[in-house]
Amino acid sequence: MSTVPSVIQGRGCAAGEFVGEIVVSNQPFGFWQGLDPQTGVIIDKRHDCCGVTVKGKAFAFPCGRGSTGTPGIFLEAVRNGCAPAALVNITSEPMIIMCALLAEAFFKVSIPIVEVPDTRPAEVLRTGDRVRIDGTRGVVEVFPRP
Amino acid sequence: MKLTDEERGILDGKSGEPQRLALQVLVKLGEACGADRMVEIASAHLVASSYQIAGEAGIDIYSQLVAQGARVKVRTTSDPGSIDFARWREFKTPKAYAARQVRIAELLDQMGVIPTWTCTPYTTFNVPHFGEHLGWSESSAVVFVNSVIGARTNRLAAYVDLCAALTGRVPCFGLHLDECRRGQVVFALERDAAESFRDHDFPALGYLVGQRVGDKVPVVVGLAGATSDQLKAFGAASASSGSVAMYHMVGVTPEARSLEEALGGQPSLETIRVSRADLDHVMEQMGPVRDGPVDVVGIGCPHASIDQLRRYAALLEGQRVHPDVQLWVCANEVVEAMARRLGYAQTIERAGARFLVGTCHNDCPLDAWRFRRLVTDSGKFAYYTPTTVGTECVFTSTEGCIRAAIAGRVEAA
Repeated sequence: MSTVPSVIQGRGCAAGEFVGEIVVSNQPFGFWQGLDPQTGVIIDKRHDCCGVTVKGKAFAFPCGRGSTGTPGIFLEAVRNGCAPAALVNITSEPMIIMCALLAEAFFKVSIPIVEVPDTRPAEVLRTGDRVRIDGTRGVVEVFPRP
Repeated sequence: MKLTDEERGILDGKSGEPQRLALQVLVKLGEACGADRMVEIASAHLVASSYQIAGEAGIDIYSQLVAQGARVKVRTTSDPGSIDFARWREFKTPKAYAARQVRIAELLDQMGVIPTWTCTPYTTFNVPHFGEHLGWSESSAVVFVNSVIGARTNRLAAYVDLCAALTGRVPCFGLHLDECRRGQVVFALERDAAESFRDHDFPALGYLVGQRVGDKVPVVVGLAGATSDQLKAFGAASASSGSVAMYHMVGVTPEARSLEEALGGQPSLETIRVSRADLDHVMEQMGPVRDGPVDVVGIGCPHASIDQLRRYAALLEGQRVHPDVQLWVCANEVVEAMARRLGYAQTIERAGARFLVGTCHNDCPLDAWRFRRLVTDSGKFAYYTPTTVGTECVFTSTEGCIRAAIAGRVEAA
């Protein structure tokens, strides 16, 4: 098995670097009503990652869903140290990008976001994979599985 | 992005730390979204006025900004809070929770935010006009001012709306630009749907449109007309089940005098035909009407207009709400006061219903009530209440809501 990480080139939407584990979902995700900001656990019963924690991990989902209150929950999670540490989407719409910009401005926490419009994250990434995410260059590197 | 001298000065800190921080967020957002400049706005509207949304993080942010001397630069109004400020005890809101909402109110006051506590500020306090650029959040208000008034705002997120308010600017992309306001997906009502179209088909159609269109701009063809309240209900539903921030209704909304105008001279991506059966099917998804008891009824989402309160009063005149049911009417303070002067409020309360003012079922902590089954005429409530309140949901007409409140149950037709 190759030891060279595979590279997904996308577009950087929010600066920052992350190395660690990723949680991968096939479904759009809304933080409002979707994430418990006290624990970092996904609580949306309709979601394929319900019950999984994204605290300190990268979180890949196709696109965001829902409310303009999204940063309310997101920043509450940031404040509690329970937010995801990086995001990967097929489409990173302004609502998601705004969450990262606000975390940086008000809590000095950088959460890199990479948009990968030509890749379905769930087809090339698996929950538990180790990744390096560069939000400035827009790159997701996937380390080989052991 | 091309910035003006004034904007570069703000980024250098010449207008103080709150404006510097706020403009930095807005410029980065503009860069990520392909804006080439900022645009000045006439007003802002803030969604993180509710403790349920803002939480302790919001109190931290507002406290920091107030300590740095932040003041809003344009007319700015507040969305509903998480308590009825006058009656929170009656609604079983925990005292400590109410105190945090009061703290948010104090901080917003200090920044000069007009304490409207409503999702419908566009009716009275914060009335945009055609073509004006705005920095608003609250999805139901954004979709109304873009579509029905023809003002221009993206769906700003919580706190980004405040950045806009503090600087009087937003990055110029998306719905600020003509080409992004063009209709993309046509929803054509079939004859059986158009001819049988009723009041509560507006939120049902909005819900269907939101499900099918995501964040694209829909165009509805085939409706003869609509009241402001019906447009409000349609838009709120479409902005809940989808991320609709702007729609056209041909012959009804101002940028859609014809289908050609609504589409901006381009072909549509898709045409979706909507039949009576499609509307009935989406109502089943929103909340099926099956025989059985109900314990809470929610009307006035988005916040009721004075016309709606008159209608509720007429339906409740001489009636009595079932003792096992809570019928709550959501409205803002000004509309409630007018309804009281006109006697509508007394009629509504004599029947055993209550006013829930400056907030709504979705924004308040209602765990203590242990509600099991909600009846509503709102597409937005139908979408959110199963998670926010944890109840089953029944979607029906306004008349159906009042009948259920009186009978204490719903009956399948």
